Amino acid sequence: MAKQLLSPLPGVFYRRPSPDEANFKNDGDAVAAGDTVGIVEAMKSFFPIEAEEAGVAIRFLVEDGAAIDAAQAIAEMD
Amino acid sequence: MIKILKAGLETSVQDYPGRIGYWNQGFPPSGPMDSWSFRMANVLVGNAPGAAGFECQFLGPTLQFGEDTVIAITGADMTPAVDGEAVPLWQSLAVKAGQTLVLSGARVGARAYIAFAGGLANPEMLGSRSTFNKAGVGGIDGHSVKPGQELPLFQGDGTPGLKVPDNLRPQIRTDKTWDIEVCAGPNDDWIDEAGHERFLTSPWTLSAKSDRTGFRLEGPEWTFTQKATNKPREHGSLPSNIIDHGYPMGAINLAGQTPIILVNDGPSMGGFINPYTVPSCAFWKLGQSKPNETFKFKLVSVSEAQDLALQIAKRCVAENLVKA
Repeated sequence: MAKQLLSPLPGVFYRRPSPDEANFKNDGDAVAAGDTVGIVEAMKSFFPIEAEEAGVAIRFLVEDGAAIDAAQAIAEMD
Repeated sequence: MIKILKAGLETSVQDYPGRIGYWNQGFPPSGPMDSWSFRMANVLVGNAPGAAGFECQFLGPTLQFGEDTVIAITGADMTPAVDGEAVPLWQSLAVKAGQTLVLSGARVGARAYIAFAGGLANPEMLGSRSTFNKAGVGGIDGHSVKPGQELPLFQGDGTPGLKVPDNLRPQIRTDKTWDIEVCAGPNDDWIDEAGHERFLTSPWTLSAKSDRTGFRLEGPEWTFTQKATNKPREHGSLPSNIIDHGYPMGAINLAGQTPIILVNDGPSMGGFINPYTVPSCAFWKLGQSKPNETFKFKLVSVSEAQDLALQIAKRCVAENLVKA
């Protein structure tokens, strides 16, 4: 069953650390436990979304720059 | 005593109406952004509406109780749980020494409030227990709470099992759009007719670069009158520049083309014009809105705004509570 990666808080979701850097992860990448897969911006701060466990073939469910809710799935992986 | 196990996102001690009387020296009032929910939390636990409690923002804290007490949680839904069991919002609850309260990410709204019977007993600074992070004043050690801190409580006399009726709670929007009251001025005469029309009819998007200092908005262009474009050089080079002057709390401060609503921890003066002001009766809406949500502004008179604020204050009294 696919494992979902959830945002801990509401805010704006970004897939890369800054606009001129590469994505943390791309669709299909393997993920190690503790890897950052995205960041959420709220109150002038950025919060990493980290994978709690390892997985393979990550698939992003949310666009870069989209508003997300708390506990919304931003990606899933096997 | 309340022990902080996890801090959450800038969880802070606030009281209402906050640090009043020092604006002329640059101290903002601070206090809870959604003072309607905050006051209701206090009333639920038998406190005066303004007693010190916690404001939790976006991501709530984990707290452990060092004594038996009565608490109430209001405002944003951070799916609170005591020892793993979900507990309701807008109700007074008995908790026991050793129990743990967890607030998670905000599902509805952005800011939750926790009141404790008696209230938090951190020392007052300049007449208030509210935290003003930027100056390191108030709260505990001047800043948001940190893991390991222990906050004393005053002796309280709360009754568990009381509830705020639905119709007396702020209706936190779930459709991401807010109608926000504004009063004209103080510098409305610097904006031309088309600029006013655009401001009052366009949707404005709340930026994630917003916090308790200012709420940054994205929207259409501002256009100006002669007052802004043909003025003595000492006012500054941008149309929205003016010789430094005092700002009202809630000012919609126009930094170039970017409006920033100055909120509870905002600056008291500066060199930009303030074409509109959000009155205190609408601050709860600011406090419960999240990045990328949409604001539409509705012009009201000062007396209408004062009346709305009075209606909120009248709701926040113990006589209005019912049995849960």
